[in-house]
Amino acid sequence: MNITAFIVDILQSGFSGLGAYLAAHVLLCLLPAFFIAGALAALMPKEAITRFLGRDANKWVSYPASALGGFFLAVCSCTIMPLFASIYKKGAGLGPAITFLFVGPAVNILAISFTGVQIGLDIALARVILSMVFGVLIGLLMAWTFRKDDQDHAEKTANNQLFAAKAKVPTHVVVFFLLLLGILLAGTLQIGLFRNVFFEFSIKSDWAVELQGILTRLIPPDPGMGVESISVHGLVLIGFLILIALTAIKGFKDIFSGFNTWTYITLGLITLTLIIASLSVLVDMNGFVIGLNGRLVAEIVLISAIWWMSARFFSADERQEWLWETWRFVKQIFPLLLVGVFIASIARTLIPAVWIQTLAGQNTIWANMMAVVFGVFMYFPTLVEVPVAQTFLSLGMHRGPLLAYLLADPELSVQSILITNTVIGKKKTAVYVVLVAIFSTLAGLIFGWFIK
Amino acid sequence: MEVKILGGGCSKCERLEAETRAAAEALGIKATFTKVKLISEIMAYDVMSTPALVVNEQVYCYGRIPNQEEIKVWLQDAIP
Repeated sequence: MNITAFIVDILQSGFSGLGAYLAAHVLLCLLPAFFIAGALAALMPKEAITRFLGRDANKWVSYPASALGGFFLAVCSCTIMPLFASIYKKGAGLGPAITFLFVGPAVNILAISFTGVQIGLDIALARVILSMVFGVLIGLLMAWTFRKDDQDHAEKTANNQLFAAKAKVPTHVVVFFLLLLGILLAGTLQIGLFRNVFFEFSIKSDWAVELQGILTRLIPPDPGMGVESISVHGLVLIGFLILIALTAIKGFKDIFSGFNTWTYITLGLITLTLIIASLSVLVDMNGFVIGLNGRLVAEIVLISAIWWMSARFFSADERQEWLWETWRFVKQIFPLLLVGVFIASIARTLIPAVWIQTLAGQNTIWANMMAVVFGVFMYFPTLVEVPVAQTFLSLGMHRGPLLAYLLADPELSVQSILITNTVIGKKKTAVYVVLVAIFSTLAGLIFGWFIK
Repeated sequence: MEVKILGGGCSKCERLEAETRAAAEALGIKATFTKVKLISEIMAYDVMSTPALVVNEQVYCYGRIPNQEEIKVWLQDAIP
């Protein structure tokens, strides 16, 4: 292979990944997921869960509450470490704190929805269920191993009012979350109800046909390697995403001085983009064939409900807080994710499939252990573990080790181990790391058995 | 007056600091601002999440960003 062909090959793979990712996966999945994460950070009263994590909380309550807290409260790194330290030092103690720490990074709404769309619902569900169950188990094991320390601890820090505050999640907030979740599900579930086209019409368009030809030539699809070509529909949507990014900079930057024209333009564009994305658009020999489907109807109804609810039930402060948090997540995660997707797609052509197949093509203990070790030593920014996993999958990794990797990677990194160390000390951290490694390996192994 | 902003240094902490500085300025209060970033030092205070606002060693709020009016009340309250 000469060098030019090689570079073309690499770039094709990189842009195909990026294009497929932006057009097909991001829109209906990550866009709503970012809004949900923002809403969880802005509108969810933390006390609704932390009230169950106090010193005197019953074990049967505090462990499940910690696992749920990992899901609802740990969307942001500003919350995870301080809350972990407080539960440990001033609240329910080492066990529930560990459960919270374990569940948090693996089971947030962004990671789960992204995993579901990119890799499959089976892995996403396994990630949720196994993280919660194993989180509780690891917490219990830690509490048991260090039961003497925990006793001293409890005596030293009695009488703390920190976890006494109570709060309930207001009904309108619950409904709002359900609606947002509905948008995510309606956009991503591949079921007949949403997919089947009930009305179809065509628009004659020569440029669309020509453009599709060019796109297919630039990035030829290769199903074997998981390479998708970019459709005209996808290209239009990418255009919209760029517009949204540009208007959001102006619209969301000073969100606290109130909504300005740019804010409304951005929100309008987001609505329009989600609606266009849910259409079924194909290009045949004559032009566009546009199909209306259940997804479209569901998205229109749900997004209208969100607009109405946020205008009717939430204060200006809450709306601003929500958008600010959402925008903060986007700024923090999205640019790194784009780079990650690009590089992971390039890696797909560089890494020989034989390597991956030999190391992790079968669901063995060794393969699962390798996957865990790789996850611990490679540090990827939030969510980037997902495109990396997808690359492994297309190269022939078994889904068992893949799950082991997906559990271990966000859970343990050199950085997070160091911070945990400052809170609970060397000995406990070491035991924790070993337990997480063992349990992630087991999770992959067990899941692998069920799959095949 | 001694103001401390507890938090790892994410954009929330920056916004809390900016809000508090603006409130202090509006009231004409002279205050020194310190950022407390280490988790071990943060845990010396009774806070569950960050960012947190501490004025003269007393915790006024944590886990959220209060508005100007709230901060002004607290700052006045903290004047000895």
